[in-house]
Amino acid sequence: MYFAAKVDKEKCNGCKLCILSCPEPNVIKFNKDDKKVVIDAKRCKNCELCVVGCPSKAIEIVLLQDS
Amino acid sequence: MNNKIYKISPGFEKIMPKDYRDLVNDGPFDKKLGVKDLGTFKELIEEHPLCAGCGLALSKRLILASLPSPENTVIVGTTGCSSLSFAQVAIHNIHSIFGNQNALATGLKRALEIRFPDKTKDVVAMGGDGAIGDIGLGMVMHSWFRGEKFTTIMFDNEAYANTGGQESGMSQKGAVLNMAPTGKKYDKLPLPEIARAAGCVYSAVVTPARPKRLEKMVRRAVLLARELGPTYIQIYCPCPTNYKFKPSESLKRTKDMEKSGAYQIKEYISPAAEELIKKFEEEK
Ligand SMILES: Cc1ncc(C[n+]2csc(CCOP(=O)(O)OP(=O)(O)O)c2C)c(N)n1
Ligand code: SF4
Ligand code: SF4
Ligand code: SF4
Ligand SMILES: [Mg+2]
Repeated sequence: MYFAAKVDKEKCNGCKLCILSCPEPNVIKFNKDDKKVVIDAKRCKNCELCVVGCPSKAIEIVLLQDS
Repeated sequence: MNNKIYKISPGFEKIMPKDYRDLVNDGPFDKKLGVKDLGTFKELIEEHPLCAGCGLALSKRLILASLPSPENTVIVGTTGCSSLSFAQVAIHNIHSIFGNQNALATGLKRALEIRFPDKTKDVVAMGGDGAIGDIGLGMVMHSWFRGEKFTTIMFDNEAYANTGGQESGMSQKGAVLNMAPTGKKYDKLPLPEIARAAGCVYSAVVTPARPKRLEKMVRRAVLLARELGPTYIQIYCPCPTNYKFKPSESLKRTKDMEKSGAYQIKEYISPAAEELIKKFEEEK
């Protein structure tokens, strides 16, 4: 069980600002098809830099259950 | 680097780790990708143990995405927080004893020129403010005086972070840290100006809150070092752990430091460097 950032696709405008504010590599990926980002929760350290940096308030921290 | 070196030999695809396969298939080698492409390719750094919200980690990601020719670059690192994330870097890199990076980079650059006279090999020395501004400063400055053709990049978190928070010469006057409880008594070292006076043809200061500017500076520094002489980049790296702010505040703190003038973005360019920059930025 841990916390990680999650993107709300409805709100994401694809500006990529979050990608440039995340200290962790290969976490936030840009999907060329729908022009939105996805976050690999397993690699996220829950620092919230992407959350405070997103102009569309599209990212929140959620509690994940181990599956 | 010949791309045969990192391509997987036939028959071994399945047993190589996924991260390695991703790097071969999706990595930036030979593709001329940059900071704007982050998020669309497999990066040259993998999961590392640096703290959540670490400004040094963000800067390192951005630097690695900015190198003009990663397949032909050798990085010389040194002890400090940054060294904990070098085993995860997919570019040739060498660890040097604390502060020795510029001495090692000198020998390496000269040896590469002898070994590969027809090829361009970039050498980049990277270290913390303690390694570059204090303990290794003699070796750093002498590499500049001698005109050694490589780039020096400082991760300036304004502290000895890896050892629990002592002040460094690069800490701001008055900075309070775990092991500087009464505050630092003297001013931050003017290292960008020292670099300029000591022979760097290019000396620049930037923060990870300006990724495109950072990229431009790294490219300029590496390309100028190839042709002209030593170059220096100093990057402010907010350290939430030692300066005791929330990880989520790293970039806000960076912008506040810029706004208050405590950390000023700047660029010193020698006349010869200015001319070369015009040339290669026009060519592009
Ligand atoms: C010769 C030597 N002296 C001292 C140390 C202990 N030491 C390890 S990391 C470090 C501080 C590093 O500070 P800095 O270069 O600013 O890097 P940071 O950890 O802040 O990124 C020190 C003093 C060492 N490893 N080797
Ligand atoms: S910063 Fe926000 S809006 Fe921009 S790409 Fe990231 S999630 Fe989408
Ligand atoms: S919370 Fe931090 S580590 Fe996780 S995706 Fe956002 S910026 Fe990256
Ligand atoms: S101590 Fe500071 S510089 Fe070192 S990894 Fe943690 S946040 Fe980064
Ligand atoms: Mg330091």
